[in-house]
Amino acid sequence: MAFKEYRLGSAMVGGALGLSMIITIFMPSFDLRSAVSTKMALEKQLSAGFDVGFGYADPLLLGINRPLTVVLDADPKTGAKFDPPVTAYIYKPGVPMPPNVRHPHDLGKGVEDLSEGLGQIGSVSGSNHSVGQREGVVFTIGLGEFDGEEVSYIENATATRGWTPDATLAAAGDKNTFKISQGKTEFVVQGCWWCHTLLPEQTQDWQVFGAPPYLGDFNGENPTAFGSDRKAPDLLHVGSRNSSREWMLLHFFNPRLVQVNSIMPRFDYLWGEKDAQGNVIDYDKWRAEYLEYANGKRVYPPEVPDYAPDSEIRALIDWVLSLK
Amino acid sequence: MAWKMDNPLYSLSDEQEQQDILKKWGEERMGGLIHPANNRLPFPLTFLIALIILTAFLITMPIWGQRPTAELYKVHVELMNTPEVERLTTPEEKMKYLDAEAMKRSASHPDSRNKGQLERHPIFWDDLLNLAPQIIELQKQTKYPLDNFTVVGDKIVLANFEGNIRADGVRERLQPWWDRGYTIDVFYVSYYCLWMVIMIKRLPHFSKKPQIPAY
Amino acid sequence: MLLKYLTGKNEDIPAGSSAIFFGFSSIFWFVVGTGLGSFNAAKLAFPDFVTGTELFAFGHMRQVHVLAVIVGWISMAFAMTMMYMTPALGNTKLWSEKLGLWTGMMWNIGLSTALFSLWIGITSGREYSDFAWPLDLVILLGVITPLCVNVIMTIAHRRTQGIYITNWFFGSCTFMVGIVLLVGNSPEYFHLTGLSEAYLTWWNAHNLLGLWITPVAAAIAYYTIPKLTGNPLYSHRIGHMHFWSIIVFYSTPASHHIMSSPIPEWLKSFASVEGVLILIPAVAFVANILLTMKGKWTLFVENIETKFSMTGVLLAVPLNMQGGFQQTRSINWYIHGTGWIVAHAHLALLGMSTFLEIAAVYFGLQQMLKRKVYSLALANIHYWFVLIGFCIYWISMTIAGLIQGAGKIYEVPYIDVVIAEHPYMIARWVGGTMVFTGNLVWLFNMWMTARVGTLVPEGRYAHELAYDR
Repeated sequence: MAFKEYRLGSAMVGGALGLSMIITIFMPSFDLRSAVSTKMALEKQLSAGFDVGFGYADPLLLGINRPLTVVLDADPKTGAKFDPPVTAYIYKPGVPMPPNVRHPHDLGKGVEDLSEGLGQIGSVSGSNHSVGQREGVVFTIGLGEFDGEEVSYIENATATRGWTPDATLAAAGDKNTFKISQGKTEFVVQGCWWCHTLLPEQTQDWQVFGAPPYLGDFNGENPTAFGSDRKAPDLLHVGSRNSSREWMLLHFFNPRLVQVNSIMPRFDYLWGEKDAQGNVIDYDKWRAEYLEYANGKRVYPPEVPDYAPDSEIRALIDWVLSLK
Repeated sequence: MAWKMDNPLYSLSDEQEQQDILKKWGEERMGGLIHPANNRLPFPLTFLIALIILTAFLITMPIWGQRPTAELYKVHVELMNTPEVERLTTPEEKMKYLDAEAMKRSASHPDSRNKGQLERHPIFWDDLLNLAPQIIELQKQTKYPLDNFTVVGDKIVLANFEGNIRADGVRERLQPWWDRGYTIDVFYVSYYCLWMVIMIKRLPHFSKKPQIPAY
Repeated sequence: MLLKYLTGKNEDIPAGSSAIFFGFSSIFWFVVGTGLGSFNAAKLAFPDFVTGTELFAFGHMRQVHVLAVIVGWISMAFAMTMMYMTPALGNTKLWSEKLGLWTGMMWNIGLSTALFSLWIGITSGREYSDFAWPLDLVILLGVITPLCVNVIMTIAHRRTQGIYITNWFFGSCTFMVGIVLLVGNSPEYFHLTGLSEAYLTWWNAHNLLGLWITPVAAAIAYYTIPKLTGNPLYSHRIGHMHFWSIIVFYSTPASHHIMSSPIPEWLKSFASVEGVLILIPAVAFVANILLTMKGKWTLFVENIETKFSMTGVLLAVPLNMQGGFQQTRSINWYIHGTGWIVAHAHLALLGMSTFLEIAAVYFGLQQMLKRKVYSLALANIHYWFVLIGFCIYWISMTIAGLIQGAGKIYEVPYIDVVIAEHPYMIARWVGGTMVFTGNLVWLFNMWMTARVGTLVPEGRYAHELAYDR
């Protein structure tokens, strides 16, 4: 090859890279964008909100400006009883709208139509998303019919039923409020996903960990945080396998309390300084007593303190239990 | 940049250009290094590369590592409520009988791929109980045949493949022999090989060595 | 002195300053990265080791280890080799030593900031692009772009007609890695969600390895081996073959990292064929280097740089055999997400590419400092500690991965898998700690080289002189 042909060579490098990007990015983007949101996807994105990783609204990932998930026994406006209970997603003023309310097209065919029609999300979606962020919205998930098939869609309950964020939150009460968005942030920040995957595999994996996800199960999720290096059970459906809050409490405080051979780190630091009663948690004492227990000098391990309502562990457990 | 096409397997450059290149290669010292030698591609290497390309397509053929289709367990579902099976007490025995029957039936169809698939995708009694109603339900519809459905987890879903379009306008959900990914691969590899041949044959023929001047 | 150079005129800065700066920075980050690795491995083996504090929890440390090693050690060692090889191969000087020093400065500051923010938990939650996007931009614009400009301008200002193969790789890879970072981080810049986000995360991760780490490491060997042995590179043709197949095949199989996710099946088919075709650049590279060694194999034993280089080249063989086949549908279902993959990743980064870079950093630092390496004995200790430590790590994690794979397929309760893995987790910690110890020895050895190593006479190469100690 003569030296003057370096120019051609450079062009060929660019051409080859461009071709590979057309095949690996441009072409699949059509398939990926045409995915239709499933109910699971809607639940995940409404409970998680716009960002659970780094973002404008919460740059330090402290769990501020996050939607809250509540379970309602009764209509907060009319007081009519619900059976079964209804799950609502409260976006207080200042909380960014969820990704697919900003970009309804990504909801997929049918879901987009119903959300904009029956769901009336138009007043807070697309270019109006800043209105929703300024005034606050309550969303629910509705069930409608499109082309003869049942389709779940996003409903703007503030528009359709007149629910305001404050009234809904008050009607639900703290007991029925779940900080799922902050919980997923804890999952990412505390590095749970370095060991626990969120992707039961499509082959032989599902017998234990539950159904692998489908094409539309991820719409609006960011980050998906599948995880790549599984050193612990998959968590995508963990809430169906184990829904005991008490077990979670013990297991997060010190996994060796419930599973002697576990290699999971202790997450006792997520309890913060005070327990549910407002007493200061004496970690040194607890650890010393636990050590005695582990060495066989005590019959029972020390009591695990109950968490405070604003502790990080509450959010994390809320999120884990929401994974059905 | 003169091209010479009369003996393309020898070299695509004319004699004068080959000499010029060899002279430059011989004279130039890049960072004190002698220019890379003008050796040919060793035959074992060429063979290995051909083998790799062949292997790449063979090992990723649709028949390997596919997930089970609903078709695979049709016989199981058909026979699971017969008296023969109900007589057997443990799930293991039941499955043993059903597997044997399914194997026997697929063996009677010489072109069936089910035998190998059944070996790769064994199923347990509990799972079968879960899947059976879904398979029965699917047999009632006529839009897609059973092998268009994949068993994923404890659910049966329409496979993700985009196959041939049938006479009635419905797209088959079977991986076709021309799977889009493979087809792109064939073109992609062909372009690479073509580019490589042109590239290498534009170089001076390997029998000629760079002319290193005596110092 | 550094400050003086950073503010001084380009002409006043001695040639090789930026290479030396990058060289020592990379060794420093290597010590930090492997130290963190050893610490993390200890936590996996003994979960109550340093417990109860947020910042020293495994989940806060793991990604810091990964990115310290990739961005700190491997990429800075690449930059170091570019700073001295690119001008040497063009018979010229580096286009701008000052820009080189500034790049190194920005790199150290940017990386420290990014790692610190990651450590305290500010993350995008995307593997291998964990940094928050403003920091990704800092790395792209403040580090990769100036490096690319410097390398390409040096090549453009060469005083030779030809461009040596190493420089083909350096020029194109510094350019392509910028594109990869730009496109691969687009989910963060443009807030893409769902499967597009997942897919682009792995597109980014795959191409960082495929268009940056693997080819640049190989390019380094194309310089060091002919230089150390005195043989010309075996074949210009095989070099072409290697270069083009890297660009064509290595840039495509991104989706084979998420074979078990519901991305389109055709994309998986495409990627798994391309994934096997990665063996083409691999065999071309290994064949070319092994044939270049003809008649000089004694250097494998006698010369420390050749020893490191050839070990790296030989480790490329199992690396690519694993890499080519483990991603096919027929094998991936068994080993996906297990320790096997961890072992494979360390084979690529700690095995193949690290050994090639260590050789190049040894060679380059001696050349730029004009001093012979301080102690052969320490260098040999370094070699054996890193090699044995790596092998312990690799073998133990491969076994652990096969156990996990079997556990996954045969529905073994997960805790039994954890129990079965425990001995291998301890072995992994032992291996990682050996690597870390070896690197401490190396840092000491290079520091002593800079201070009291025997001066190399003008016009000679360090590797031509006899060892002193």
